[in-house]
Amino acid sequence: MSDKKTVFILCEKPDAAMRIAKALENGNSFSRKTLYGVPYYEVDRGNEKLLIVSALGHLYTMSPKIANREIFPVFDFSWAPRYLVERGAKKTKTWINVISKLSKKAQEFILATDYDIEGATLGYTILKYACGGKEKEAKRMKFSTLTTNDLRKAYESLLPHIEFPVVEAGLCRHFLDALYGINLSRAMTVSAKNWSGKYSTLSIGRVQGPTLKFLVDREKEINSFIPTPYWSIKAKIKVKGSIYEAEYEKEVIRTKSEADLIVDSCKNKIGKISRIEVKKILQKPPIPFDLGALQTEAYALFKYTPKRTLEIAERLYLSALISYPRTSSQKLPPSINYVSILESLKNHPEYRDLAGTLLTKNDLTPREGKKDDPAHPAIYPTGNLPERDLSPQEKRIWDLIVRRFMAVFGSPALKQSVKVSISIGEHTFYLRGRRILDEGWIKFYRPYVRVDEVILPELKVGDQIEFLEVLREDKFTRPPPRHNPSSLLKKMEAEGIGTKSTRADIIETLYERGYISGERITVSELGFDVIDLLDRYCPEVISVSLTKDLEESMDRIQSGNEKMENVIVKAVERLKPIFEEIKRYEKDIGRELSESIKKARLQERILGQCLTCGTGKLIILHSRRSGKRFVGCTNFFNGLCKTSFPLPQKGSIKPLHRSCSKCGWPLVQVKIKGKRPWILCINPECPSKKAG
Amino acid sequence: MKCKICERKAESEFCKFHKISFENLVKKFEEWRKSMDISWLEYLRMLQNNPYTGVWVKEVIQYLLSKNQTGQQESEKHSNV
Repeated sequence: MSDKKTVFILCEKPDAAMRIAKALENGNSFSRKTLYGVPYYEVDRGNEKLLIVSALGHLYTMSPKIANREIFPVFDFSWAPRYLVERGAKKTKTWINVISKLSKKAQEFILATDYDIEGATLGYTILKYACGGKEKEAKRMKFSTLTTNDLRKAYESLLPHIEFPVVEAGLCRHFLDALYGINLSRAMTVSAKNWSGKYSTLSIGRVQGPTLKFLVDREKEINSFIPTPYWSIKAKIKVKGSIYEAEYEKEVIRTKSEADLIVDSCKNKIGKISRIEVKKILQKPPIPFDLGALQTEAYALFKYTPKRTLEIAERLYLSALISYPRTSSQKLPPSINYVSILESLKNHPEYRDLAGTLLTKNDLTPREGKKDDPAHPAIYPTGNLPERDLSPQEKRIWDLIVRRFMAVFGSPALKQSVKVSISIGEHTFYLRGRRILDEGWIKFYRPYVRVDEVILPELKVGDQIEFLEVLREDKFTRPPPRHNPSSLLKKMEAEGIGTKSTRADIIETLYERGYISGERITVSELGFDVIDLLDRYCPEVISVSLTKDLEESMDRIQSGNEKMENVIVKAVERLKPIFEEIKRYEKDIGRELSESIKKARLQERILGQCLTCGTGKLIILHSRRSGKRFVGCTNFFNGLCKTSFPLPQKGSIKPLHRSCSKCGWPLVQVKIKGKRPWILCINPECPSKKAG
Repeated sequence: MKCKICERKAESEFCKFHKISFENLVKKFEEWRKSMDISWLEYLRMLQNNPYTGVWVKEVIQYLLSKNQTGQQESEKHSNV
């Protein structure tokens, strides 16, 4: 029998387990094994044998003690294996069994999951329930990158135990999310079902509700918006042979008659330069990326949703190319070793010159933001170069992170702005110029920074300027813009609801539930009705203050200033009267929700206007005789229109609310499992379908 | 009582969303009249074709204009504002 000590190391994901095994091996002593299909690694390390196993995200979840989905409210929850609670989580059973079996061989335990609230919580539940109560004795590996150096350092300086206050905050978050999510969703689903007899899952959560409310409030502003007319005046002027655009001194003119008067009095006149103001502006470099800023920038530049950016960043982290992305920090401590990162980046042809330029600086000090995160620094490149071909998306995000990292060490950019005042009688027009005198950090962040220069010729006061054209521009005030996933995430961050790790998923859930759609987010009728209803019967559950209070309580738990039990008791006390109200008005709520679901379902079947009768709507129907689906006009039921079209009988059909460019009839998207979705014009006679 | 436009629950002619839109419509007319010297009917037609006008406002305008074909009360009431 071997006298080696067996050390069990629990990671979060299989890729991380592999990287830790590689980093901790001594010579060729690392082997990949599988047990019931679950991979794990064995590493011989002197007197120790390491068993490195990964989880598969959370293996345990909060489960209500009362399983009957028709009963609410439920205040008793416990942790249970995910395979017992969630459909589609069967795989976790094998994983738990393997972890349980391997853990029995170990004398020492180390938690090496992500060093954040979710990583600590999932590690705690696995050590407690799958490893037979090892959560108290387990040591902790803390690292922010998966590079060999960092992993070795983390292993050599293990923390004596896992971060219990963080775990407590994590357990509390899961409890509160279940308490709100399960009860509110059950309340809505049961009320609707009891009224209509039909079952449809409706959900709303602790953070989901207030987030949807932001969108509904914005939608209300847009839908009831009335534009106000105003005018502005522009002039085309000739300056030293070139044509420029000058703007009138007043940006907004409230009446059309005043605008016309100005145009008439400036037309065909010669102006004179009355003043030239030159300003020099120093523009500081950007600050390092925290997760929210990376998601915002990736959306602005590449139109990646926050969720997609996070997924890509996680893949880059698991490939040891960047540091841990779920961070709120905007700081880069010297301990990450700026010089060594830049030295490594110098080996990449695209960054050779830029990294080289920075390395010649005497002082490498990054510009930093105010936000800090005790667990991780801001996102930075590790300096490792890709070992595999990155996908185009991964390449973009990696390049963005590398260039941002270099830019924060750049010197401020020096810009010059020129404002030339041109007088015509009592009126003044402004000609504006701008140029970069010293690009500083901008050269490190190209092409991700836009530089619009307007370079003016030499001018002096008294120069005469020819006005070629004076134009009145008719304008209207605009409604507030629709949120997009990125601006919504920023709003959630600003309001302090959700966490850096959960916000992107919450937005995605709103899409999945059919409450919102589109990149420029539109709220569906169902989303509107759910918020309207909650606003009337239990406004507290969609209020930002409730969620924010709870987030603050959880922060206090994390910093050791609050007890989880107190927060839970308070939350339950706040929820009890809310559910009493819901019970009291269950019938009304059920009726309204049922009507809303019915309307939403009908809406999902409407393809657009009927081109034959012009007044009916084309809708997906099922034949009473054959059961087959087809498209018919709603005016058929009034005996006014007999328009109908066949539809494919397999797969799902989604109206696209767009017309065919060839014939004008609506387009639909057909999705069949295992095949690529395709777009179909419902008109069988459409010219696009004719051969040749 | 149901909203004349969308059949949502209503306390008067309109649900709360269309009511707000109608009130905005009346309130903003004065500003438009000062800016452009136009009548109530012209105001409604211009807003109907304006891409920035909210959907609920457009629905109210559609309703008012269709009512206007049979009786002109609404426009007359406001053309004197």
